[in-house]
Amino acid sequence: MKRILTLTLALVLVFTMMTCFTSCGEKSDWEKIEEQGFFYCGITVYAPMNYFDEDGNLVGFDTEFANAVAKELGLEAKFQVISWPNKYMELNSGAIDLIWNGFTYGDEDGVSRTEYVDFTYAYLENRQCLVTKADRVNELNTAEALKGKKGVAEGGSSGEGVAIDLAGDEKLITTFTSQASALMELVAGNADFAVIDYQMANAMVGKGDYAGLSINKAVEPESEVYAIGCRKGSDLTAKINEAIKTLSENGTLAELAEKYGLTNDLIQNIGSN
Amino acid sequence: MGFWEITAKLFEGFGTTCLLFILTLVFSLPLGLVIAFGSMSKFKPLAWLSRTVVWIIRGTPLMLQLFVVFYVPGMLFGLQLFGGINGRFTAALVAFVINYACYFSEIYRGGIESIPRGQYEAAQVLGMTARETFFTVILMQVVKRILAPMSNEVITLVKDTSLARVIAVAEIFFVNEMDFLSKGLVWPLFYIAVFFLIFVGALTIFFRYCEKKLDYYRV
Repeated sequence: MKRILTLTLALVLVFTMMTCFTSCGEKSDWEKIEEQGFFYCGITVYAPMNYFDEDGNLVGFDTEFANAVAKELGLEAKFQVISWPNKYMELNSGAIDLIWNGFTYGDEDGVSRTEYVDFTYAYLENRQCLVTKADRVNELNTAEALKGKKGVAEGGSSGEGVAIDLAGDEKLITTFTSQASALMELVAGNADFAVIDYQMANAMVGKGDYAGLSINKAVEPESEVYAIGCRKGSDLTAKINEAIKTLSENGTLAELAEKYGLTNDLIQNIGSN
Repeated sequence: MGFWEITAKLFEGFGTTCLLFILTLVFSLPLGLVIAFGSMSKFKPLAWLSRTVVWIIRGTPLMLQLFVVFYVPGMLFGLQLFGGINGRFTAALVAFVINYACYFSEIYRGGIESIPRGQYEAAQVLGMTARETFFTVILMQVVKRILAPMSNEVITLVKDTSLARVIAVAEIFFVNEMDFLSKGLVWPLFYIAVFFLIFVGALTIFFRYCEKKLDYYRV
């Protein structure tokens, strides 16, 4: 009995080690994806980028955009809901192939995101925006008024950096796993302001349990752009860029933007300058 | 969105929660016994190995173990151990099974070592083999003795399943965050408590029933 047990345990150990060392051959990203016929986009659910319509279908600007790009490349786009702060781990472990969810091109806490991912062409304009309780809009109406106030943002979002600048002290900022939970803090009165994506604020603030909140125009942080994040050094980036350029030229992107009310924010003639 | 619609959606997430709970128990209960035997083995290297494993697993947060199981194979070796549509769930299951098996193994060990030496000697005198002694004499007494600490762990497991959300397993909290919280609905978060209360309530009644059934010395 004891000997059998020892043997079994030893076998399990050897088997585990073997699986660790038989790596599956070095293939480039594109070769792997072309072979399997699809790529995974890491998303979080929010309107108007990726969200579920009444019938439970995933729709949204980024959803349809990804489908169009996939079609252009002869592939299928699959979507995986992820926890946003884990996005780089998801990407590097191969659990997803692209970060495609209103992903802001630029900095995150002063560290350039280009250190973690390769960006494709930018396709949509965005900016971070300030959200406060509706009845405090008049009180928190200048950058000075926000100094020393408690703020919330999504962890690992570009809003986090903006929030720190506004409060003037990193210790005053609390971060959450999604922009929605950041807003909940605001509703509960644990924080004075939140900094989230303008596109998202537009879709959420003032609705449902967020009815008591409003977009505060007192401070308008500078504008940013959305792009798609690919694995560092991946040859998928170039393929996607090609497809984006085609879709921009043939007007598909303009149609999508109109459908989701983003025409003013769409970048024109992507990839041609 | 109406109350019933939200309840239905949350039930979907709670289904995943329950499945994770049940499968974790199915695999970790026997595995725990194996590890317990390992820790009690007279073959020293095996005993050290199991004790080290138990030390590492009990000594690190379950959340970290979830990350390690799901992300590390891909990041270090380029391996997609948990690809496919249910990959995340499988990864979470593996992490939960290993974690809970280690906790269970220590409960088993305590239970087994609490049985008086004299019973083994008596069994030997009666000519029983070691295997017979364990399965017919010792094990049922162990079950009775460890029922209370086990019920504790099992109830903790029900609630620990919510940790699976860190690798985006669509359990009840993850479903809530993605479907309701992100649309400005806050109250479903607190409504989730009802699901857990009812489930744990049923478990509590079940364990009390088991204890009563096993209370065979009382008249």
